Amino acid sequence: MSSNSSATSAKAIFVVAVVAAVLVSAVLAPVAHDYATSAQSDGTVSVITVSGTISSTTVDGIAEDLRNARTNESVKAVVLKVDSGGGAVAPSERLYLEVLRTAEEMPVVASVQGVGASGAYYGMLPADEIYVLSSSQVGSVGVIGTGGTTPLPDSVIRTGPDKAQPTTDQRRRTIESLKRQFVGRVMEHRGETITLSREEVAYAKTYLGPEAVQNGYADDIGALPTAIDRAAEMAGMDNYDVARQEPPSSLGLILLASDTDNGTMIYKRSDRTNGLAPVTQPLMVDEIPYYDPEVSANASA
Amino acid sequence: MQARDLTRPAIAFVVIVGLVVGASAVAPLVLGGGTPEVTNLAQQQTDADAVRVAAAEESGEITMDSDAESKTILIDQAHGNDLSDEKLSTLVNTLVENGHEVRVVTQDQARGEAWNESLRSADAFLVANPSQPYTPSQLAGVRAFNDAGGRVLLLSDPPSSGGSVISLLGVAVSQPSSGGPSLNSAFGVSAQSGYLFNMQEYETNFQSVYATPGSGSLSEGVDRAVFHDAAAVSTADGQTALSTTEGTKLSTTRRADTYAVAVQSGDVAMVGDTDFLAPTNAYVASNEAFIGNLADFLVSGQKTGNAPAPPSSGSPTGPTAPTRPTAV
Repeated sequence: MSSNSSATSAKAIFVVAVVAAVLVSAVLAPVAHDYATSAQSDGTVSVITVSGTISSTTVDGIAEDLRNARTNESVKAVVLKVDSGGGAVAPSERLYLEVLRTAEEMPVVASVQGVGASGAYYGMLPADEIYVLSSSQVGSVGVIGTGGTTPLPDSVIRTGPDKAQPTTDQRRRTIESLKRQFVGRVMEHRGETITLSREEVAYAKTYLGPEAVQNGYADDIGALPTAIDRAAEMAGMDNYDVARQEPPSSLGLILLASDTDNGTMIYKRSDRTNGLAPVTQPLMVDEIPYYDPEVSANASA
Repeated sequence: MQARDLTRPAIAFVVIVGLVVGASAVAPLVLGGGTPEVTNLAQQQTDADAVRVAAAEESGEITMDSDAESKTILIDQAHGNDLSDEKLSTLVNTLVENGHEVRVVTQDQARGEAWNESLRSADAFLVANPSQPYTPSQLAGVRAFNDAGGRVLLLSDPPSSGGSVISLLGVAVSQPSSGGPSLNSAFGVSAQSGYLFNMQEYETNFQSVYATPGSGSLSEGVDRAVFHDAAAVSTADGQTALSTTEGTKLSTTRRADTYAVAVQSGDVAMVGDTDFLAPTNAYVASNEAFIGNLADFLVSGQKTGNAPAPPSSGSPTGPTAPTRPTAV
């Protein structure tokens, strides 16, 4: 009887060991395969997506991706997959500085899909090369914003005449100053490639792919795989992996996020606009700032 | 199988896991974490001097040279004129301070004979950005007023977008909302569509163009005036009082030229802007001198007779029905 039970327990342990071995193998096999694959690879090209309105939230995500690329030793090059018409000024400059920091450490190549204009173009300026499609539009180097003369409601008490109510002249000076920075950085980064004068850049035109290649806003016509290949080549990689970093949120969340950036908004009826106009409005480097005449007060997300 | 048979493997498992996990936790503390060197790229990339924009210097006073006796200046507010009280205040204050009278003709005062009656008692007439057509009789009244030496000052901002022109008896009246050249008329002056800009030399914004003096009393004492969002004006046989600096372009043609922004043809003057009258712009550059000159222009006319002439006694009896405004 005892020999019988001993044999049964030995069988049971054997079965458990086999099952455990299968389970462990199932977990380890992909790791081993990946390891073997990456052993052949020289490194990774990280494809980071820059899409939608450039807001502080979207740049938070992109900055994180870029930081990961810089700190991950296997990442040897970055490709920016760009499809954005721009956004607010400060996030655009943040994006620019993050890309610049990355470009100082490894090759960065931008690949423009539909649009890479204004704030998005600002952000990709430090890239070593910019690829566009023949249908891409790039440029629109400039800043827009409201005049800032709409008076605050009488119920708002302020400590000074310029608190939350800059004069039109102050607003013009601010926008002019931001334009000079933007134009200056285009001239600096596009260097000898650009054939346009500072004045022509300041016109803030948007150029179609082929024209952008001709005038130096972009380097060449090429799709995303070309940009990835080029980035890998610049990093000296023959065999490489591609890691795609997609934006963390859906379109709806991005819109919500860009509303949040504006914060609480005070509206005031204005004779100049024949309706309600926001008293404070962020400066934009893309489309006309969001303006909803139906909203009467405290429009916040 | 005894329980102690499992004790050894269990101890070995605990020891190995303990060593590995412990070593990985202690390793960074012993070896030290890598601290990447941070360079201040934002500072490196910013040329603060190049991007700083100085505020425009505002100085001077609006003064009048004319010692003309008290004159009456009529301001048209009867034709949907786009001229804010704020802008008007600069000129009106100057005129009133120097002992002149300013009257505003409203829509009610522009009906029928009241229009000519208003003109008859005035010495000068100011029209800015009318958006409603003048009736033939109103135009005839203004012409008679001007023929008798009454001064007419036309101010015209660029229309916000291209559009149609309402033309009456050779006088074209623009609608600021729909665009088109402004008062272009028997008065011998006209405005071009589109706004002026200069990408090289400007005051803060590319649409704020500089204008330098030409000839005539309107340019006296003006060194350099600033016009924001201005229209180009022209005259056939008059004088160009102020014209923009070289390299100024018209938004519609993008042609670089020196465009006239203030012209004078006898007793008629035209300025392609109203923004220079705004209190915030009135003292920028030499704008205050130009505003003073305009005030002098308005009061320096020599209007003769009782123009426009009152209806003769032989006219049809009974009140005349107001002419209905018609667009041709």
